[in-house]
Amino acid sequence: MINIKDQENLFTEAGKMLKKRIECFAIGGTAMMFLGLKEYTKDIDLVFLNKEDRKIFKEILIKIGYKEMESRLVYGARENIPQMVFLADLRIDLLLPEVISFIFSENMQKRIEETHEYNNLIIKIADPHDILLMKCATERQKDIDDVESIMKNTTINWNIILEETKNQIKLGKQRAALDLGVFLENLEAIGTSVPKNISEELFKIFEKQTKEMKEKIRKKK
Amino acid sequence: MKQIKTEELLKILAGNHILKTVIEILNENGIKADKQKAIYLIHRLKKRGYVKTKQTQDNIRVYYISKKVIRPSYSFIDILNENSPQKLYNFDDYIIHNKKPSLEEVLIYAIKSKNIRKIISCIGLFKKIKNWSLLYRLAKKQGLQRQVGALYDVARTVIKTRKVTKRFRNLSLPKKSEKFQFIIDRYNSKHFQEIEKKWKVYIPLNYNDLEDYRMFKKY
Repeated sequence: MINIKDQENLFTEAGKMLKKRIECFAIGGTAMMFLGLKEYTKDIDLVFLNKEDRKIFKEILIKIGYKEMESRLVYGARENIPQMVFLADLRIDLLLPEVISFIFSENMQKRIEETHEYNNLIIKIADPHDILLMKCATERQKDIDDVESIMKNTTINWNIILEETKNQIKLGKQRAALDLGVFLENLEAIGTSVPKNISEELFKIFEKQTKEMKEKIRKKK
Repeated sequence: MKQIKTEELLKILAGNHILKTVIEILNENGIKADKQKAIYLIHRLKKRGYVKTKQTQDNIRVYYISKKVIRPSYSFIDILNENSPQKLYNFDDYIIHNKKPSLEEVLIYAIKSKNIRKIISCIGLFKKIKNWSLLYRLAKKQGLQRQVGALYDVARTVIKTRKVTKRFRNLSLPKKSEKFQFIIDRYNSKHFQEIEKKWKVYIPLNYNDLEDYRMFKKY
């Protein structure tokens, strides 16, 4: 667990130790803490645009005292798994734009409205819409709580979420609409209201995907 | 009068407050406080780094009181708002931690953003800019010397500014062979054409865009 203050101390220290300017994107709980939507997080998630920057930042964290962690233990033997370091009960996931369940797309990068500079470390904070969308790809209770907090404290433009879902499908993440649909159903089940037309739209996207898949299979045969 | 301990104050006041709520909370907790005393206590906490102040659109001060010392962080938008009559609200922001950015840095940030509102707002900064060599270095790094020069000349039409150094002007003026550049891609106007020709930069502003500067004569 890490709170806002300790998170800031960590970034300040890392920023001072970095010899060149490195840019990364804060997503998940870290971004929520920056946006004032959460006080603590279990893990810090940072997305880097290239492997080189990620490597440099990881080395700095190790110098600070963090220890390397085998990410396969958490994510299994999949492609594009993050690199992980930990210190006591805090885990830091260092990701690249293409992550297991989503792609940190160019549109997501354009939507960013807040940037923090800690000496040589520049952290761009993901937009709440994108945090919500990324949270939907998991099935953890804490993610449901986080999404509830986002929906309570910010005004959600569901069109942005729908557009990004379509974009994720275009980029190859075929499960995006399904994951979001299931997640929203779970949210509704615990009493959070979700606009009906969004579920309908998602279902339409999913139907279209199924048809296209069927046609592809037919053509192959 | 017994001095109230800082820890005690932080314990009861941690959170977001306006002056009225601070007075209420202090009185609820047995500390008799009027407006003057509340301001003094906030000032005491602020001096020790526990308070961050923000001003809302309707000019109400909001105090964020933290139990831990707040590390200084500076928002470029806040600095623009402090130094310009053209205020910006709900804008994407760039926050620097542990170091106060100079006005020269903020000016370059605003021009680099290619956002018309930030550009209009940054014109007010020319009134306070002193370090022309720093401004030149920062502008050169981003390839924005001509844009800075052109906006300086635009600023001179509406506000009093310090005089730019000859060195800055000579180094920044375009050579004959250089082509026109945009401040905001594909945006230009029919106004300020002399300045445009001089700096070979398309200026995306009309006279009316700078109306606020004309209205705030005292500024």
